[in-house]
Amino acid sequence: MIDWLVDPVRHTFMQHAYLAILMVGVICGVTGVFVTLRGLAFMGDAMAHAVFPGVVIAFLTGGNFLVGALIAAVIVSLGIGAVSQSTRLSNDTAIGVFFAGAFALGIALISAQRTYTRDLNSFLLGSILGVSREDLLLTALVGLFVLAVVILFRRELTTVAFDRTFARATGLKLWRYDQLFLIILSLAIVISLQTVGNVLVLAMLVTPAATARLLTDRLKVMIGLSALIGALSGWIGLTISYHAGIASGASIVLVATTIFLVAFLFAPRTGIITSTIRRRLHYHHPEQDTFPDDLQVSD
Amino acid sequence: MIEPVTPNSTILTVERLGVHFEERPALEDISLSFSAGETVGLLGPNGAGKSTLLRCIAGMIPPTHGSVSFGPGADGGKARAVYVPQRSSVDWTFPVSVLDVALMALRTKRSRFRPFSRADEAIALDALERVGMRNSAPHQIGALSGGQQQRVFLARALMQEGDFYLLDEPFTGVDVPTQDMLIELFGKLREEGKTIIYATHDLAQAHRSSTRIVLIRRRIVADGPPDVVMTAENLLSCFGGGLPDLAGSRS
Repeated sequence: MIDWLVDPVRHTFMQHAYLAILMVGVICGVTGVFVTLRGLAFMGDAMAHAVFPGVVIAFLTGGNFLVGALIAAVIVSLGIGAVSQSTRLSNDTAIGVFFAGAFALGIALISAQRTYTRDLNSFLLGSILGVSREDLLLTALVGLFVLAVVILFRRELTTVAFDRTFARATGLKLWRYDQLFLIILSLAIVISLQTVGNVLVLAMLVTPAATARLLTDRLKVMIGLSALIGALSGWIGLTISYHAGIASGASIVLVATTIFLVAFLFAPRTGIITSTIRRRLHYHHPEQDTFPDDLQVSD
Repeated sequence: MIEPVTPNSTILTVERLGVHFEERPALEDISLSFSAGETVGLLGPNGAGKSTLLRCIAGMIPPTHGSVSFGPGADGGKARAVYVPQRSSVDWTFPVSVLDVALMALRTKRSRFRPFSRADEAIALDALERVGMRNSAPHQIGALSGGQQQRVFLARALMQEGDFYLLDEPFTGVDVPTQDMLIELFGKLREEGKTIIYATHDLAQAHRSSTRIVLIRRRIVADGPPDVVMTAENLLSCFGGGLPDLAGSRS
């Protein structure tokens, strides 16, 4: 068991991968709490696809793909914000327009390349073994920034998510914090692209947070648990992927999904099976109820 | 009894206010002034513009015409409004406790670099005590009944320490104990010189718990003490044919 866990960590390329996925797990776990609480899963998925052209352009011009994705993410999040603010279109319609449009642009750009299929594959599914020192440094910096913003603006982000009318009545500029949150969200997505890939990053945002929500009613605890579950899924998933030779992104997401299902069934208070068992324990059998103890002794 | 700091001074003036939503007028030509210590019931049918007026005073909707201006508050500065929205605008499944919700009031007053202190929590618990919810402090907000939830939002509003309180339908959908608590709280706030302006469509409740009634149906129908304002004629012209029984019994 120890060998099973330690063996992959011996390789330098795996050390990079582990560090990257642990950071991604924590950052997506924290950001994902607000994604799930605000019901913005679709937004998260859209954003993951929308940064695609930025990655492709960075790849084609030899720039850093994190920077490219970041620029694309900021443009798209501002675009979505602007369209849903100023027109009759609902938020998810605006998201749909930008998400598909940006993704198509990315595919158009990369399909002109000769190595089309291979490149597309590594973008969509991640290529965790190619994590460089610079990537790690950039991931850490972006991650620290995300965490700092979430911590500093925790009250604003919470109030805006929980009670928008109150937030507005107490002078919060809602669009400003919505925009801030979109930027945080896109940053979290961008640093996850290399490890889990475009298609599966949504799971890193939603699944650990959803699992944490099943386990607690306290926001602080939820954020901590979500980060922990994200990191744990990353660690175990990567290890399984190493030994079983399966795609790392898929392996990580499957571990996260398994943890979610376990919580869904067995969470202390909300689990399907746990609550059924508890109901059974409190259920009085009719034949016992016929002669309650106090009646028998009252003669 | 605590004397108001500035007894009967004008705390809020609404002048020729109009609010239109995409050309559709929701409020027209509203002129009102409010004094410290008044408890004013805004009474009118659904869609009369009561909520719009409250939100406009709270600064959440810009007026299309006219103006809202604040007099001096208790601390000498501009009077501060505290708006208590209708319950329904909240995500009840949100993982916050009753205490967390109350503490939200301190966001604007405390440093973002420090967590809330024991003293802050004590302030929140005191406010919850005032609305009879202290024992529910650790519970998740969605686990409470409608009336209890409304009380928690009142506690949060009390912690904001406004000069006047704007309450949107505080009596709607709450249990009888909460209604009694509200009436008692209105009395205490009045003694402290706070002004309360609340929207309601419940005639009996408005009559029982207001020092002044403003009948409103897009425009002001009548304005004055409950007994003077709530005549069959006024109510009929405000509510239309919606309340024939009550109008009949009063004529």
